[in-house]
Formats: sequence, structure tokens, C-alpha cells
Amino acid sequence: MAVLLRRLAGHVARGFVMILVVTTISFLIIRSVPGDPLAARYQKLVEQGMAPDAAQRAVEALYGFTPKGGLWEQYLDYMGGLAHLDLGQSLSVPGAGVSTVLFSAAKWTVIPVLAGTLLSFLVGVVMGVYAAIKRTGVLGDLLAISGSLLHGVPQYVLALLLGAIFTTLVPILPAGGTADIMIDPGFTADYIGSLVQHATLPVVTYALAGYGGWILAMKSSVVTVLGDDFILAAELRGMKRSIVFRYLARNAILPLFTILALSLGLLFGGAIFIERIFNYPGLGLMLIDSINNRDYSLMGGAFLLITTAVVVANIAADLLYTVIDPRVRSGGEAA
Amino acid sequence: MSATIVPEAEAGGAAAVRRNFWRGVWRVMRRKPSRMAGAVILAVFAFMGIFGPMLYPDPLPRDTSALYAPPSLRHPFGTDFEGTDVLALVVTGSRYVLLTAVVTAVITVVVGAGVGLFAGFRRGRWDTVLMRFTDMKLTIPGLPLLLVLSTVWKFTGAVEMGLVLGLLGWGGVARAVRSQTLSLRERGFIEAARGLGLSTTHIVGRELLPGMAPYIAMNALIAVTGAVYAQVGLFFLGVLPFEANNWGVMLNLAVFGGGALTTTAALPYLLAPLLAILLLTLGIVLVVDAMDEIFNPRLREE
Amino acid sequence: MAPEQSPPGVRIRGLTVVYRTPAGELPAVSGVDLDLAPGTITGVVGESGSGKSTLALSLLNAVQPPGRIAAGSVEIDGLGDVVALGGEGLRRARGRHVGYVFQAAQNSLNPLKTVGKQVLDLGRSHGVENPRGLLADARDLLGRMGLDGARVLDSYQHELSGGMRQRVGIMLALVLNARLVVLDEPTTALDMITQATILRIVREVHAERGLTTLVITHDLGVVAEVADRLAVMYGGRVAEQGPTREVLAEPRHPYTRGLLGAIPRLVGDIGEAHALPGRPPTLADIPADGCVFRERCPLRMDVCETGRPPVVVSVSRSAACHAVRDDDGGRPAVAAATGEEQA
Repeated sequence: MAVLLRRLAGHVARGFVMILVVTTISFLIIRSVPGDPLAARYQKLVEQGMAPDAAQRAVEALYGFTPKGGLWEQYLDYMGGLAHLDLGQSLSVPGAGVSTVLFSAAKWTVIPVLAGTLLSFLVGVVMGVYAAIKRTGVLGDLLAISGSLLHGVPQYVLALLLGAIFTTLVPILPAGGTADIMIDPGFTADYIGSLVQHATLPVVTYALAGYGGWILAMKSSVVTVLGDDFILAAELRGMKRSIVFRYLARNAILPLFTILALSLGLLFGGAIFIERIFNYPGLGLMLIDSINNRDYSLMGGAFLLITTAVVVANIAADLLYTVIDPRVRSGGEAA
Repeated sequence: MSATIVPEAEAGGAAAVRRNFWRGVWRVMRRKPSRMAGAVILAVFAFMGIFGPMLYPDPLPRDTSALYAPPSLRHPFGTDFEGTDVLALVVTGSRYVLLTAVVTAVITVVVGAGVGLFAGFRRGRWDTVLMRFTDMKLTIPGLPLLLVLSTVWKFTGAVEMGLVLGLLGWGGVARAVRSQTLSLRERGFIEAARGLGLSTTHIVGRELLPGMAPYIAMNALIAVTGAVYAQVGLFFLGVLPFEANNWGVMLNLAVFGGGALTTTAALPYLLAPLLAILLLTLGIVLVVDAMDEIFNPRLREE
Repeated sequence: MAPEQSPPGVRIRGLTVVYRTPAGELPAVSGVDLDLAPGTITGVVGESGSGKSTLALSLLNAVQPPGRIAAGSVEIDGLGDVVALGGEGLRRARGRHVGYVFQAAQNSLNPLKTVGKQVLDLGRSHGVENPRGLLADARDLLGRMGLDGARVLDSYQHELSGGMRQRVGIMLALVLNARLVVLDEPTTALDMITQATILRIVREVHAERGLTTLVITHDLGVVAEVADRLAVMYGGRVAEQGPTREVLAEPRHPYTRGLLGAIPRLVGDIGEAHALPGRPPTLADIPADGCVFRERCPLRMDVCETGRPPVVVSVSRSAACHAVRDDDGGRPAVAAATGEEQA
């Protein structure tokens, strides 16, 4: 337990520094954007007849810091706002706070990415075990090669190919959006069916893109464990096949749980290409739109959210490892 | 290694080693024809990047009577929205893509190996600071960071783009080179060289680097694919100004301009650059596989 | 637990184990005949690559691919020919009839489970009806070997020292009341004190439980310490075998003599120890014909180039060498001429 707490403290401290760095990057970028969006906005508001005071307050609300004062002052102002989870106002979605916009977009990213990740994890792990056990056979070879190819190809190539096949050549799936706009949102079979239909391509693409990595990782992990002495020892002690298999599987999957935790860190930012290609209104599409609309407060907020998720996942992965591996848990030497 | 300890054997020994090396390369390449194919593919892409733009007139001819023409003998991959031959676009666009990739690979490898060697060699405070920094770079998700950076940094030109991608991407190489250096250190290798009175430059340049060179070379190739993906991806997303013809721009125009995901007309325009990316990936994967075997004698025994 | 019946004897006949390599199937063990008399400790000594570990695995018909038993039989009392066993029958025999103790340096325990849980897995595998009783037996065995049984059963592998792991390995081999025990390099990678303790435990447990024991080792000292009988292996063949004391006092095969000559003594000049010239053969360069030892043999003759050396048997001993004659009690015929005689 003491080990756990010590590790946790170290990680939280490091994660805090990371988030500090990321927010500083956001701040500097917003500050150094060509044409100074704050000054431009202020100018525009004043030209529209707003009192200088009011204009300044409006701009402050927009970006989370005042365009007046020195760099350092602005920085502290910005950070102070963040400490209260005040990410400023969105420019492109009038009247909405950045956090509100972020959270409404998040669900369209989190659910498909989570589904895709878990799907690819399950299939990849099972196939990886199979590929490792049958590694001298043709099928094992095929599985490994399919894994290497899918792992090597970038996500957008997969998405474009799948899109070209299933929306253009054999148009059986919708090309974009979250649901048919002709169907009223609600808890109806039609609407849910349409949701599933629209989510199919994003989820499948995400799963396929991840699958290659899982099958390769699981295969090599199983092959490593197969070479470990304790598997042969268990066989020589006459352990049942099912028990030996369980020994093998548990030991092999252990390092993959850490990778799984890490990959869940991509929950918010992992689907940028897929969302752009299938026009799926998640955080990734929002990040791109905010960049194209020069909505810097929204961009900074999205970047912060995406990065924070990765930092948190890193901490979670390490803690998870501490919990599930007795060797680390007791503070002994790691394997 | 023995060549440096026994100076008189150096010239002859090194030449023999080099000869054996090339013979080994040839043997490994010959055993699996697919590796030959990989090398050929890379050679074709290199040729395309260097000479491709010279093969076509600038600007490329437009056939306004044949917009989005289907594939034919004259236009193997059809034409784009302006009636330009898609194959010509792929060939002329390759220079931008590959130039970026090469610049990225060079920077990744030079900075990565430099930082890794320095951290592993010096250890102590420098090591801690550099590795914390590297960790941080590895943790910040790359694509969102690139997107955000694209708002301030305009990536004008292929070289500058490669510079940015390289400066963002050296973390992995640094980490790996550092751990290699540390493991050589643990084996008493560096202390032994010190004991022989060899200078630091000599130890790093003559003793450490040659051992890691193959590994670094493979990382350079992998960095090339990474750079191609990232660059094409950024142009495809449309966050960068289209200043020159390249594959990413083609993908963007095919999907968001030509509606390739809803109509079949622009499909060849979409598939041609995709095919180029896939072929390049395949070539690099095959060559890396061959290099793996050349430099990893354990695999050679199979 | 009084032994209800006499310990099992083992008869290995013509055992040949081959490994598949790019150069074809190469023998790691070829034509080995060896008897383990009931109730004795037999030591098998050899350098790495001599085939001794392969021989040990053959006792459980557990040669790992790409190896396979190509010919011969391993008859174990109460089990029959193990080479003919397969599937469930073989699995049940392992652990229940034949206990196998791994090399101390190896990690023979599942790192994610406590020792006690692995004892229970063992019980479940072999249909033990009283798991509590099995745990109690395990605890007693560990206690017998000088460990805190309850604590060890509650420990993970990484929490145990090398000597403790080795005792846990012995416990796992014995807890199902196997009467035939194979120990593969039981003292490798242990410090001197722990080595002595493990060997004492092996001897005591062997006597108390009425076992037939096979000890595989590269260390003649280990054999001298525990074994009643000794077999020296070289290049996949048994070079010489016989009662330990006799073989060590009066080695016949030039290889055994070389091994003994290579041991430095505590008293006297270290220069008196002569390492064997050359290196032990690997799978790839074991000579296909003739004596496997001839490359390193001081007594090499023309006749050694072809044909297997004859097995010269006298009373309870045997040696496979052209230079050993049976008429003068098995002394090497040309030993005097080469001046190789030693105390």
C-alpha cells in the first residue's frame, strides 16, 4: 500500500507538471497567433460601439485572460481561470462556454472510441494467442501478417479505404453524421438503429486500426511466456491443460492491460482523422473546426482536455500495473 | 572492434569486414524475393522524388473537357477536378512528401541519437533532465499538438515541415539509444575503452555508434513512414495552406472537394495517392525486415 | 506416510532422442542404456550439451520440440513404458508418479500466484479429493525442509530466495507422493551453504520417503555427495557408469579421468589441475561415426574413428571405450604408456 501511495504521489506530481506545460503551450499559442486575436477582437468590439471597459471584459471572458498588462500578468490570469475550470467562451458557438461545448462533443468521441478499443482489444488478444500457438502454421502466419499490415497503415488510409468501399462502391452505410436527420432524436428503435448504423464505420475503422497492434503485442507476449520455465514446469507437474493455459494467458495478457490503459488515454483525441472523414461531430472534428474558425479558446480547451486524458491514462496505467502484478505490488524487482 | 585495438590489422580487416557485410546483405536479400521487391520499391520512390517533377511540364496540362475522367490508357488513374492526369499529380507530388520525410528522418536520428548517447553516456543529472523532457514529449499526443501548432507555424515548404516533424519526433529514438548506451556501459564496455586511454570522441564515434548504427538506420526508415503519414495527414485534414501539390492535398480535394466518399467519379483520384502511401509503407516494411535480419545474426541462423 | 510398497525401478533401453535442425535430425541422446535401481540415488554427470537434461526429460516423455524420442524405451515400475504413454495418461503420470524438480536458477513457479494456490492447482489437476489435506502435506514437507510452511505457501515466487524456491520445487515434486524423483541441476546458481543444505535435504527426504532418485548435474562434487551410482555422459552417450565410489576412485574411461583431473584440489598447486583440451561437442558437430570423445582423447587410436566403442562390462561397472580392456579389470590398456596415471 505504501508503495502504491508513493508511486501515486510521484505520478500526480509529474502529471501536474505535464498539464502545466500543455496549458502554457496553449497560452503561448493563443498569445502568439498572428494578428493577435485578442487585440483584433477588442478593436472590433470598440468599433461596434462598445465601451472600452465592456469590450475588455468581453474579450477577457472569451479567452480567459485580459489582453492588457505584461505577458506574465496575462499568463497568471489565464492559469487562474483554468484553476477554476474556466476555459473561456467559445467564439464559433456563440454564448456557450468552452467547457459546455467540449462536453457535448466528447460523447461522440468517447463512446465510439471506447467501443472500438475494447472490440479490437478482445479480438486482437484472442487472435494473438491463436497466432502464437499456431505460429509455425499457415494460418498463424496469415494472422501475423494481417496484424503487421493493419498496424503499419495509418488510420486515415484505413478509414478512406473502408469509406470508399462501403459508402461509394457498395453504398450500404451512411457516409457521415451521427444519425439520420429525418429521424427525431429520442429513445426509439428507429433513432437508435440509425445511431448504430452511423457509428458502424467509425467504430470498425478504429477497431481495425487498433487490432493489428493488439495481435502483434499479444502474440509476442504469449511467445515469450511460452518460453518461460514455469509453463514447462507446470506441464511436467502434470497440470491440466486448462490450468496451464490459464497460467499462460494471465501472464501474457498482463503487460497488455497497461497498454490498454494507455490507449484509453486516446479516448478524447484518438479519432481525429476518423471523425473528419466520416463527419462525426466529436472532439477531433471540433478541434479541426476550431482551428479553421480561429476559435482559439475552444482549440486550447480541446487540446487541454485531450492531453489531460493522456496524462491521466499514464498514471492509471502505472497504478494498474502496481495493482495487478504482485511483483511490483510488494515493491520487489519488476519483471 | 578488434580493428581499433590492433591498429595494423585495421585496413585489411575493415575491408574484409565490409566485403563480408555486403555478401551477407546479398544473401539475405536473395533468400526472400519480397525483400528485393522492397528495395526496388524504395528505389522507384527515390527516383520519383528526385526526377519525377522533371518528367512533366510545369504547370501540368489540363484537359478541361475531361473532368474526373475515369481511368483510361491516357489517364491510368483518371483525372482530377481540373482535368489534370492523376498519375502525373502523384508523381510530381512525391517530391514534396519524400523531401519532408527525409528531412524528418535525418533530424529524428541526429537529435535522437545525440540526446540518447549524451544522456546514456553522461548519466546523472543530465540524464534525468533529458529523459524527463523526452518522456514529456512522448506523452503529449502528437497529432493534436501538430494541429495546434499549425495555427502559429505555417510550415512553409517541405523542408520546414520536415524540421517541425523531426523536432517533435525524436523522443523514441533518444530513449532507445540511451538504453542501448546504458546497457553497453553496464557490460563494462565503456570503462574498458577508458582504461585503454581512448578519448570520449573515439569511444562514442568508433565504439558505440557502429554497434548502434543498424538500429539507428532502421529507426530512420521508420521515421520516414511516420513523417509521410503525419504530413499527408495534416494536408488531408486541411489545416495547412495548400502551397504545393502533394498527396495529402490530393486526398483532401478528392474527399472534401470531389466527394469521393459519396460518388464514384472522384474515386480513382482518392485511391491513387492512397496506393502510393501503401506501396511506400510496404517497401519500407520489407526493407526494415531485411535489415533486421542482416544486423541481427540470431535471426539469420533460421 | 510409510511407504506402502517398494520404490519403483527404471530401465532405460536404447534411448535415442533427436532434434530437428536445418541440417537434418541430429541425436542429442543416442542409444543410452541406464538402470535406476529401486531406492537408489543415481547421478548423471556431463558437460553442457552432453544430453543429460534431454535424458532427464525423457523420463517424463517430455522432450520439447523440435526434439523427439526416436527410439528406445523407458520402463518405470507401476507405469510401464513411458515412451508409449501419451495424452491424459501421460499427464496423470507426471507429478503423480514421477516428480520433476527444476534447476534452481529457473523460475519454475507461476509469478502471479502464491505457492499455496499452485499447490491447489496441482491437486485439482490430479483429482485430489481433499485439498486441505494436500495443503497440510505441503506445509509439513516445507517444514521438514526447514522452512516456515504456512508463510511460504502464502508467498509469491519473487518473495522467495533461490534456496527457498528450490525447496518449494522439491515439495511440489513430492506432495503427490511421487516415488520417482528427477532433479535437474538441483544446486546450480546457489551459494555453497545453500548447496550443502539442498543436498542434505535430497539425501534425507530420499531415505525417509523411500524414493528412487535421479540427479542430473555438471558437478562431480554433487554426485560424490549424494549419489549411490554414477553415470558419466558425453556427446549423448553414457561413457562410463558404476557405483559412485568405485568410479571416482578408479575411473576407466579417459573422459571420466579427464573430468577428475580437471578438478582443482584445496591442497596442492592449482597447476596440478589440467583442464580437458578442446570443447564439448555441440549438437551439430557430434561425430556421426566412431567414438564421440576421440577429438579430445589422449588415448586416441585408429580404431576410434569407426564404429561405436564397445561397452566393456565388469561386475557392476561399464565403460564404452576401445582403450578399456575387460581382462585386466578394465584398466585403460595404454594408460601406462602415456604416463597419464594419477592418484
